[in-house]
Amino acid sequence: MIARRIWHWVLAVLIAGWLPVLLITWWWNASATSDNPFFPPLEQIWEQFKLNWVFLNVPIHLVPSLENLFTGFAIGVVAGIGLGALVGASATAARYVEPVVDFFRAIPPVALVPIFILLLGLDSGMRIASIAFATTFPILIATIEGVRNTNVVLLDTASVFRLTPAQLLWRVRLPNAMPVVFGGLQVGFQIAFIVTIASEYLGSGFGLGAFTLIAADSFMILDAWTGVLLLGILGYALSLVFDLVERVSLGWYYGQKKLA
Amino acid sequence: MPAVLRRIPAGVISTVAALIVWQIIGSVGPLAGDSFATATEAVSALWTLLGESTFWLAFWETIQMAAIGFAISIVIAIPLGILIGLSRFSYRSSKFAFDFMKVIPPIVIIPIAILVIGPTLAMGIALVVFANVFSVAIQTAYGVRDADPVLLETMRSYRMGLLQQIRYARLPSAAVQIGIAMRLAIAASLVVAIVAGLVGGAGGLGSFLALTQSSGNADDTYAVILFMGAIGVALSRLLVRGQRRVIFWSGR
Repeated sequence: MIARRIWHWVLAVLIAGWLPVLLITWWWNASATSDNPFFPPLEQIWEQFKLNWVFLNVPIHLVPSLENLFTGFAIGVVAGIGLGALVGASATAARYVEPVVDFFRAIPPVALVPIFILLLGLDSGMRIASIAFATTFPILIATIEGVRNTNVVLLDTASVFRLTPAQLLWRVRLPNAMPVVFGGLQVGFQIAFIVTIASEYLGSGFGLGAFTLIAADSFMILDAWTGVLLLGILGYALSLVFDLVERVSLGWYYGQKKLA
Repeated sequence: MPAVLRRIPAGVISTVAALIVWQIIGSVGPLAGDSFATATEAVSALWTLLGESTFWLAFWETIQMAAIGFAISIVIAIPLGILIGLSRFSYRSSKFAFDFMKVIPPIVIIPIAILVIGPTLAMGIALVVFANVFSVAIQTAYGVRDADPVLLETMRSYRMGLLQQIRYARLPSAAVQIGIAMRLAIAASLVVAIVAGLVGGAGGLGSFLALTQSSGNADDTYAVILFMGAIGVALSRLLVRGQRRVIFWSGR
């Protein structure tokens, strides 16, 4: 039984893995003798990657990026869920607020960065503010949606038990909205990542995005490649972590769905 | 609430309220000053911009990048997705690789794109393609795999060929997925085209915005962003309506 499960797992990894391995091997070999300045041999990129990111530049460029990302995202989460819960609890309020929120949601998040540069300059405060502001709207929309569409039976039950409005919001509406809210959190986190990079491209100086763009502008091709690779790996790794958090914290919901 | 007010749509009332709040914040509130535009300043700046040919030229460049990039990604991604989706092995082999590429935002590769292609419209188009091609392909493949097995068995027993299978079973089942993927891709194309201009200097509205900001013209900056928001809202309304009409048999 266990042997069979391990076999299935190995097979799945093999099936998912052969194509990426093949592509990377191809890149490695095809670029080995490359004299095109923009596509240096992958081996050189890898050596430079180890030099840059294990762990020389990590505290200078990676740590500030991640700090801004998580601070901004956290502010956006608190603002989005807090406001969304208040607005979503009243159908009338939701009807009035939604068009305005939709408008902000429709602005490309990166386009908001110039506004914050004008207001706050180029430092960390500007970056965090841009990230937080852009993150708020998808979370806000999802929370309004989730809180408003609470199951009618649950609401009736709550009113039979004479729950106060605060109890109703905290114990019934919000937990029920969580699966929808998580959809908003996921979109919000992707936006936070993008705005983090954009705010570093546009604001000068430190951060992984700034490092990469400055390297590219000054024709330090290897450094630029290592930055792009690290950003790509980071983007994927963060989305994996996010999926994991969702699965753990929404375990009760998926359990319920399986039973139903 | 008086009856007259109640007949006005909620969106109009809240928009007017938001504009008034904006005006107050910018003129007497905490953000009064040169680096913040009030509602009236932004709207009048937008009104002036709408009369300028450079603004419309920038808008046209953005539309070009988005449209050409979108068209290229569809032409590549849908046949590719169908091919991948036809066999279980190829679907499971490519799922991981495509999912990996899908979550990498195109903004990540802008530095390399600037080096290789240069800050041009072509770079914007390339970024739009990168943004869409993986997600549309894997979504198409998923839809193709999702075809009704009974229908496929039936067709096989009637000895209908692969092309007929694709035409009558695989594509109709994938149409809903393709429709959703295309809707997301159109919205993403516009955003990526703007970002390519703003961050990568590819031209269009994005570069226009970067210029207004770097010259410290707050009124124009807010005006351009207002315009982008309006375009975004209009586009998403249009897309939802269009999708409902084209894929009328799906409730979504």
